[in-house]
Amino acid sequence: MSRPRTQAEYLARLVPPSVAGLNRRSLLAGAAGASALLGTGLLAGCGDSDSGGSGGKTVSMGSNASDPTPKDVLAKVSAAFKTSSGVEVAINTVDHNTFQENINNYLQGKPDDVFTWFAGYRMRFFAARGLAGDVSDVWGKLSGFSDAFKKASTGDDGKQYFVPFSYYPWAVFYRKSVWQQHGYQVPTTLDQFNTLGAQMKRDGLVPIAFADKDGWPAMGTFDILNLRINGYQFHVDLMAGKESWTSDKVKKVFDTWAGLLPLHQPDSLGRTWQEAAQSLQQKKSGMYLLGLFVAQQFNADEQDDIDFFTFPEIDSTIGAKALDAPIDGYMMARKPKSEENAKKLLEYIGGVDAGNISVKTDPGTLVANTGADTSGYSALQKKAAELVGSATEIAQFLDRDTRPDFASTVIIPALQQFIKDPTDIGGLLTSIENQKKSIFTS
Amino acid sequence: MTTSTLTRPPVTDDAPQQPRRRLTPQRVVLHVFLVAVAVGWLFPILWAVLTSLRSYEYTASHGYVSFGGWTIDNYVTAWRSAEFGKHFLNSVYITVPAVLLTLFLASCVAFVIARFSWKLNVVLLGLFTAANLLPQQALLIPLFRLFTEVPLPAFMSDSELLYDSYWGLILVNVAFQCGFCVFVLSNYMKALPRDLYEAAMVDGASVWRQYWQVTMPLCRPALAALATLEVTWIYNEFFWATVLMRTGDKFPVTSSLNNLRGEFFTDNNLVSAGSVLVAIPTLVIFFLLQRHFVRGLTLGASKG
Repeated sequence: MSRPRTQAEYLARLVPPSVAGLNRRSLLAGAAGASALLGTGLLAGCGDSDSGGSGGKTVSMGSNASDPTPKDVLAKVSAAFKTSSGVEVAINTVDHNTFQENINNYLQGKPDDVFTWFAGYRMRFFAARGLAGDVSDVWGKLSGFSDAFKKASTGDDGKQYFVPFSYYPWAVFYRKSVWQQHGYQVPTTLDQFNTLGAQMKRDGLVPIAFADKDGWPAMGTFDILNLRINGYQFHVDLMAGKESWTSDKVKKVFDTWAGLLPLHQPDSLGRTWQEAAQSLQQKKSGMYLLGLFVAQQFNADEQDDIDFFTFPEIDSTIGAKALDAPIDGYMMARKPKSEENAKKLLEYIGGVDAGNISVKTDPGTLVANTGADTSGYSALQKKAAELVGSATEIAQFLDRDTRPDFASTVIIPALQQFIKDPTDIGGLLTSIENQKKSIFTS
Repeated sequence: MTTSTLTRPPVTDDAPQQPRRRLTPQRVVLHVFLVAVAVGWLFPILWAVLTSLRSYEYTASHGYVSFGGWTIDNYVTAWRSAEFGKHFLNSVYITVPAVLLTLFLASCVAFVIARFSWKLNVVLLGLFTAANLLPQQALLIPLFRLFTEVPLPAFMSDSELLYDSYWGLILVNVAFQCGFCVFVLSNYMKALPRDLYEAAMVDGASVWRQYWQVTMPLCRPALAALATLEVTWIYNEFFWATVLMRTGDKFPVTSSLNNLRGEFFTDNNLVSAGSVLVAIPTLVIFFLLQRHFVRGLTLGASKG
């Protein structure tokens, strides 16, 4: 072998053949390409435009409205707000679930001036930690909200931290045509409800469609039974960790539920609510306890065939006037860049104009402001609004009325365990109570 | 390229091949096992591809174990509604600088560990390797707090903080990936002949020159293998991008996949289409650079 004449040749000799894959030129080209990419990447990626803005003409809004319809509503509302006030809304949309799971980080980091959130315990939780701004003076300018809504917007310290925008009720849904065909009547007591269920079974229907694959739909059933058996105040205290889960009151809820389980669609843990709703839509099930969004699973020409009733009375001293109707709305960050604009925006959102936009754009929810023009409502929406309007108390749904960690890590598995094996209620409740103690004291 | 083909021993030099290997029970078992494993790995991917090509209405009424309802609408909808174009670009902004920076920094450390003997060599290598074992989640809260306290000038990020900026994500990825790269590169560099450096020193090459012009060109295969692995890992990274970002528009593509989930309703067929789209870049990189990929996994195997 001859002596190498250049450094490159010398080095090349030292390299085992398996290693000598690339030649020098291609490496240089690669390096140049890579550095070009690096350069453009850094320039384009990191010098992004200033969208937040600290000036007087913008307000930023963190939104969980990632579904097309709510997104559209928000876009229209902010466009209308710009026309009326001249302030531009910079909307930061994060998908609904991520937003929800990240809320703690989000609020402790650098939140947008105004952000979407839920009424009830979830709002009070962050208000009590000083992570939300007081909007009591905005409430002074708002009108058209019932006391129940104001109560749901008020923090533990008696100040308002929340502006409601929309809501939807939970009720028992059914198809009018199916009920007419069999001549069913709306039940008003638990006995009638049971009789109706037994009749449906004889008629070859699944009485109550049911699904709990995602964990949260069964919370609706627990909530309504608890509200009917023990009343609203007990529900609130139980959710706040003040009442014991091992008490006879809670036990009675599960006993009643266990009695109703044979009427429910079996194997519910492997079914999503969409599939359960489709069994109602396909006239295989008689009724379904769910939120108003169940209508999403029905075709346009079937919408008029959907009807509902509120869950029947169980205890006549408690009545059947309370229900779950989760309220969605907006809150203000603790230190917004422009408090004046943020409050202006909240006032606009709580006003009649924004409500009218929602009525026109979103048939899936109801508008919180009673002053809004609801002539555009469908028959279903009108009836739902009446139902909620006549309610004495409005609960927010289990996972919104309690600590998020308690709802997701304790209640979801516990309810699924109960559905799987409804016999050992005592053991289940003891386990919930023990976990509750450790979570609520942390 | 020519040298490698010339010096590679010809195939016929192998042990004389029998026309057909005998079918022993071991071979049958081996092949059954291999087929089972291959199916096990491919099934989820093929299932996702299959699901993504069917309409939700059809699978909702006929179930997933059925045949029909073919459509490519899911891909169109997924691309449009999750705004993948924008988010793919975000992923590039994070991945490319992070990979280059990781390789550069890791090779510097590896060079020092491999080439200079001083007391803390082993400790340093141990430190970098041990960092690999740290669960990233355990560092979430301290890092989050830290990032919300570190200011950045407005021209670098509109959040004016390390939090919610690409810089922050690049930094996190570089920090977490350096350990592995140092480990691999230092092992590789230790295997390079020492005479080379003695010759370089005799010729008067500075340390920098020994690193940049002697070591780095020889490390090309290792660097290529690592680059392939790192691009895949950092691109797939989801956790930090979700917690250390606040602005939906700045999410990389992995986090933006969540945009396809609805509040109450998730169209699994649509999500499958989105997942397939997101997985394509890693698949492309893998198939293009498969050779480096496999070599990367065995780099340390035959060398000290």
